[in-house]
Amino acid sequence: MKKFSTLMLAVLAAGSAFTSVSAFAQDYPTQPITIVVPFSAGGPTDTVTRLVAAAMSEDLGQQVVVQNVGGAGGTLGAGQVAAANPDGYTLLLHHIGMSTAPALYASLPFDPMKDFEPIGLVTEVPMTIVARKDFQPETLEDLIAYVKENGENVTYANAGIGAASQLCGLLFMDALDVKMTEVPYQGTGPAMTDLLGGQIDMMCDQTTNTTSQIKAGEIKAYAVTTPERIAVLPDVPTLAEGGLENFNLAIWHGLYAPAGTDKAIIERLTKSLQTALADENVGNSFAELGTYPVPADQATPEALAQKLEGQIGLWGEVIKAAGVSAQ
Amino acid sequence: MDLFSSLGLGFSVALDPFNVFYCFVGVLLGTLVGVLPGIGPTATIAMLLPITFSLNPETALIMLAGIYYGAQYGGSTTAILINLPGESSAAVTAIDGYQMARQGRAGPALAAAALGSFFAGSVATFLLAAFAPPLARAALSFGSPEYFSLIVLGLLVSIALAHGSILKALAMIVLGLLLGMVGQDIYTGTPRFTFGLRELFGGLNFVALAVGVFGIAEILRNLENEREREVGVKAVKNLWLTRDDFRRIAAPVLRGTVIGSLLGILPGGGHILSAFASYSAEKRLSKHPEQFGKGAIEGVAGPESANNAAAQTSFIPLMTLGIPAHPVMALMIGAFILQGITPGPNVINEQPALFWGIIASMWVGNLLLVILNLPLVGLWVKMLSIPYRVLFPAIVLFACIGTLSINQNIFDIYAIAFFGLVGYLLIRFGCEPAPLLLGFVLGPLLEEHLRRAMIISRGDPMVFVERPISAALLALALAAVLIAVLPNIRRKRQEVFVEDD
Amino acid sequence: MAFSVSRNDVASGAIFVAFGAYFVLEATKYEFGTPFRMGPGFMPIVLGGILIVLGLAVAAKGFAHADTEEAVPWPWRGLVMVLGTIVFFAATIRGLGFIPVVLISGFVTALSSARNNPLSALAVSVGLCVLCYAIFVVGLGMIVPLFGPWLPL
Repeated sequence: MKKFSTLMLAVLAAGSAFTSVSAFAQDYPTQPITIVVPFSAGGPTDTVTRLVAAAMSEDLGQQVVVQNVGGAGGTLGAGQVAAANPDGYTLLLHHIGMSTAPALYASLPFDPMKDFEPIGLVTEVPMTIVARKDFQPETLEDLIAYVKENGENVTYANAGIGAASQLCGLLFMDALDVKMTEVPYQGTGPAMTDLLGGQIDMMCDQTTNTTSQIKAGEIKAYAVTTPERIAVLPDVPTLAEGGLENFNLAIWHGLYAPAGTDKAIIERLTKSLQTALADENVGNSFAELGTYPVPADQATPEALAQKLEGQIGLWGEVIKAAGVSAQ
Repeated sequence: MDLFSSLGLGFSVALDPFNVFYCFVGVLLGTLVGVLPGIGPTATIAMLLPITFSLNPETALIMLAGIYYGAQYGGSTTAILINLPGESSAAVTAIDGYQMARQGRAGPALAAAALGSFFAGSVATFLLAAFAPPLARAALSFGSPEYFSLIVLGLLVSIALAHGSILKALAMIVLGLLLGMVGQDIYTGTPRFTFGLRELFGGLNFVALAVGVFGIAEILRNLENEREREVGVKAVKNLWLTRDDFRRIAAPVLRGTVIGSLLGILPGGGHILSAFASYSAEKRLSKHPEQFGKGAIEGVAGPESANNAAAQTSFIPLMTLGIPAHPVMALMIGAFILQGITPGPNVINEQPALFWGIIASMWVGNLLLVILNLPLVGLWVKMLSIPYRVLFPAIVLFACIGTLSINQNIFDIYAIAFFGLVGYLLIRFGCEPAPLLLGFVLGPLLEEHLRRAMIISRGDPMVFVERPISAALLALALAAVLIAVLPNIRRKRQEVFVEDD
Repeated sequence: MAFSVSRNDVASGAIFVAFGAYFVLEATKYEFGTPFRMGPGFMPIVLGGILIVLGLAVAAKGFAHADTEEAVPWPWRGLVMVLGTIVFFAATIRGLGFIPVVLISGFVTALSSARNNPLSALAVSVGLCVLCYAIFVVGLGMIVPLFGPWLPL
């Protein structure tokens, strides 16, 4: 008996997943959990969610199902979760769009701060500033000078209103104090097609989409938008190195539950998220995508709440200044 | 030489019994789910995608490819049997396929679709293996001006879809284009024609529209005077193609394969046009164009081949450049990434076993599809012997539940009812639904490419005639109109008293 | 008939004109833009205008000849019951849940055919309910409440 329990303990410790479950006498979860992704299947956010969901399933001992509710720039799915039963069985995994929605949409059916319980940050995907292969500037310095000189003659692809690629472009133009000609696309996939074909000049997109093209030499990379260089693209400088010190942009993803969800459940989910993010498999898959799981101290409700509040303020100003609105 | 050793490597992967098994499971599941009304290939793949996560990359992607072909074929089956297309290409199949089914020739229609698809798939797979990289490069020279001109050409040529009034067909296309504009404008974010409903921001759902104007409208037609006439389809005469059928489908299958293979390579929406283009070509070239729309087997074999060829060659931009040509390919990218492979120009060099394995498995998948579906033809046709009074409630419910299960959007169900009514009225008044669906899928593309071309050219419309490919396409469009209109005018002069409307 | 008028052409022309007019009127609220930067109103106004012209042409042609086929009776029962069922399905699937809604919808739709009587309609609806449950809920793992929150269960 004693031997058995020692063995059990060892297994539990090794698994690390179940060690604290017995701490609170909760039987949550007793049924499958649904994570709503407010975008269509196959996109980067969907991929991130599926990876995390698989690891959380293992930890929670219940199936974690991913459900895609796309539409209206992610506000449809988010609105659905805001209105869902706060029983811990319907969650939302949303990205930076959660913080830009209040500025972009005049009548939002939910309040990002009030209608959700944050669970934790998941990942921050860096972005890259890229251009067609035969674009004239060679270095980041060249590019900045070129864009300043040519302004509206430079065409710049984005994935439409409120997309990460547009936000990045807004910040970039704001930092250089120039206007380029924005060319919207139905997603960054078609935009990449035109960039590869040399139909447009520039784009700013998540590493998830650009890394393989950069490595293959199909497009030029000028900079990453994070404060430090990133591991998958060690030769690409940061914007700070090019003189744009305050430029810091990453597409952060967070996990939320509807407001009013039991504190114990949130705690359990935070723990599960942290376990999932520490999973080697998740780490490797994230690395393939050109990103990394956030450290455990960021995968907390406090960190996500702080991030969300700060970002709502920041984007409110940028979007207002640019005069962009989805409605 | 190199090609053969590469293909050898590919077949050694694809013919691994384990992989063949999963390919077969994929084809089977794809067919079974795709055959459900209201669930087209994209939805089928989105639903079945998670099944593949636990498999190793080669097996998972081979199974996924199997699901894709199965779903394509399943969708065509629904279009033929109950006039309910789940994807725009199947709307073309429905035109003559459903008429064939009504005449008791559902068997030959399904068999022609399966055989045509297999042939086209085989040829396109070979193209993919032999010429993928240069073809993908060539496709990149298509920018927005070229796509705009291509779509204009496609729209004008597609008047041939109608077997009745050309004027009404044109109006249906334009109505479709307008319905395609519903939703948030991607350029400015302005919500258009949404009645303030957030559910409409992403536009009308294709499946809801198709289910409404095809499926529900057809049911209402059948309820018109059911006391007097027998509704639904006639007893099945034969399951297999006759010698005459074989003779009739040979050339359409060949032409469809060529048309589909070429259009499928274009990542900006070429595959959408493939089935429509093939149908138009067959009707133009046929000695009996009057049979089209009344159960011409050429109108099933050609478009089905074109569609399957395009489905195959649309893998070219994905596999060689890492860019998705349509939603199904976007799902594939997601699947690649989940398997730890980033699709892009390097896959062919870094993962040769995977690259060639998938290509070889496409052929294997097509073969399995034929082996699986030819015997199933009998089963599907048997389903038609279910009395219509039992069948149509099933269609209504399956369509509602199927549509709901795709997006979880209640609004899509209301849209089915609305378009069921509008579709019924228009069909009753002598209009045909297929041009409407073509307009609907091309509307957003037409606007997007026109506006983008104008932005990039800084407002200079000459861009459409200065770029050679675009100019050639527009010239073709002009020629198509002249060819269509001139004989009409001449005939009208001769037969002023005969109204053929 | 006193006039030789094609009611089909006039009616379908009217539908086209109505749709065209709606799109044009609604689109005037949106920015029209310039050729360089076309606004969201540009295409709908142009296409809506074309649709109105086409609709008028269809209707005008209808005044030149009569319908060749005799008008078929309207399927009132089917229109009300089939379309009504779809609306009912949409309105209640979240509230009543899968099983009651499928049972009721199947029953009413089946009854819209004169060839079904209440007993056969009931058989159809029960059969469909089992089939749909097996395919969508069990087979495809669709997420939907079997009995919704509106029911006191």
